[in-house]
Amino acid sequence: MIANTLVKSKLVCVALNDKHQLTALQDSFKKDPYKKPPTQPVLYYKPRNTWNVDGAEIEWAKDFDGQDVASMVVGASLGIVIGQETCRVSVENALDFIGGYTLVADYSLPEQNYYRPDIKGKCLDGSAPVGPKIIDSSSLDNLDDLQVVIKVNGERKSLFAIADMERGVAELISIISHIMTLQPGEIIAVGFAGDRVPVSKGDTVDASIEGVGTLTNTLGGA
Amino acid sequence: MRHARIIFEGRELDIDIDSEDRITTTSGEVLNVTLDSDQITWLPPVKEPGTIFALGLNYADHATELAFEPPKEPLVFIKHANTLTGHKQISYRPDNIEFQHYECELVAVIGKSGKNIKREDALDYIAGYTVCNDFAIRDYLENYYRPNLRVKSRDSLLPMGPWIVDTADVPDVMNLRLTTAVNGEITQDGSTKDMIFDVPFLVEYLSHIMTLNPGDMIATGTPHGVVDMQPGDIVVCSVENICSLETRIVSEQAYYGDKY
Repeated sequence: MIANTLVKSKLVCVALNDKHQLTALQDSFKKDPYKKPPTQPVLYYKPRNTWNVDGAEIEWAKDFDGQDVASMVVGASLGIVIGQETCRVSVENALDFIGGYTLVADYSLPEQNYYRPDIKGKCLDGSAPVGPKIIDSSSLDNLDDLQVVIKVNGERKSLFAIADMERGVAELISIISHIMTLQPGEIIAVGFAGDRVPVSKGDTVDASIEGVGTLTNTLGGA
Repeated sequence: MRHARIIFEGRELDIDIDSEDRITTTSGEVLNVTLDSDQITWLPPVKEPGTIFALGLNYADHATELAFEPPKEPLVFIKHANTLTGHKQISYRPDNIEFQHYECELVAVIGKSGKNIKREDALDYIAGYTVCNDFAIRDYLENYYRPNLRVKSRDSLLPMGPWIVDTADVPDVMNLRLTTAVNGEITQDGSTKDMIFDVPFLVEYLSHIMTLNPGDMIATGTPHGVVDMQPGDIVVCSVENICSLETRIVSEQAYYGDKY
């Protein structure tokens, strides 16, 4: 665990929140093992061993035999930093509970399926850099105008518009706060582009949102 | 020795409990109170709770009860401290649901950091054991990251305690009786010997994925025998030689009060 993480106590991520991805997967979500499309936000945690910072080298994951895994991917999201205790808030009031914004990158093994919690893929040490800093909630006017960009070695690989999220920020805060009471400093990664970006050993990855910042990390193992 | 956290006479205290049930604070003060006293408010026993790993379908009979094949690899999900509450505290039943059940589980509390821990060394990384009740709201299950957070990450639905028993004082952790009683009637009766993936295996498995840290917990799953709970019910989850954990169910409105 690293001491200087920007995350306090909890990092909740929202999967399958890209409208285009949901549309593309609609048919497979009617089959086994899913049987029907999700009716609620699909949530997962990046636990505390994963929290990392801007500039850090991301460890290349190993399999159970101690060999380097064949492939890793990255996604990036706007990070909502909770500003005050948030318990059962309405959609109308939800944005008032935001204390700031940041970027969250999620390095993982390729997403094979969404049926079981993906502990092996998502809980790798140091795989959730957050930063580069937290900007004040007053510094962004309209969240729907934001785009999350991922560049690998300087080349743009992914562009995700916040407006393309199936559920918006206010709705997510409201729904999550009816499951769990959120505390100041806890962070919600509200949505990732459906197509995660493949990365290789030694790559430099920039995740950025204009007005929020650029989160830069390199892949280890080279 | 057993270790707990309590509120007593307005003070939050870390306490040790010896084999004769004498209570001493970690600063050496002897408390003149008995373990069953209403003057004690029990807090969750892990002082700085980290990641809580919980096992699904880790007893073959429970997997069958839920109409599942026993898994070939552990089914692990993660919970956080918002779910924790202590012994003799309240947990809530959400409104408008059909089926909420308890899950009596042995919990291994991690005592030191480790990665790639071997099975034979696993117990060196466990500070001790306690009991939890890993409630589930079955109505909310969906087949995405199942069991999903809406089922398993709710406030107050992971009572734990009352205390942690040192690893050295639990000679055979894989042969302990687990029982749950609802309003005094035993509804669940199993043994840790029926776990599919035992405690040393789970430490080895998880630590090959990630570093385990002090304050992390592994809730090891529950055996056959889960029944619905209603507000007013008293549920007691017990693991032999570890502890008994009592919880009272209240309504969602009673739990959240002004925030309902």
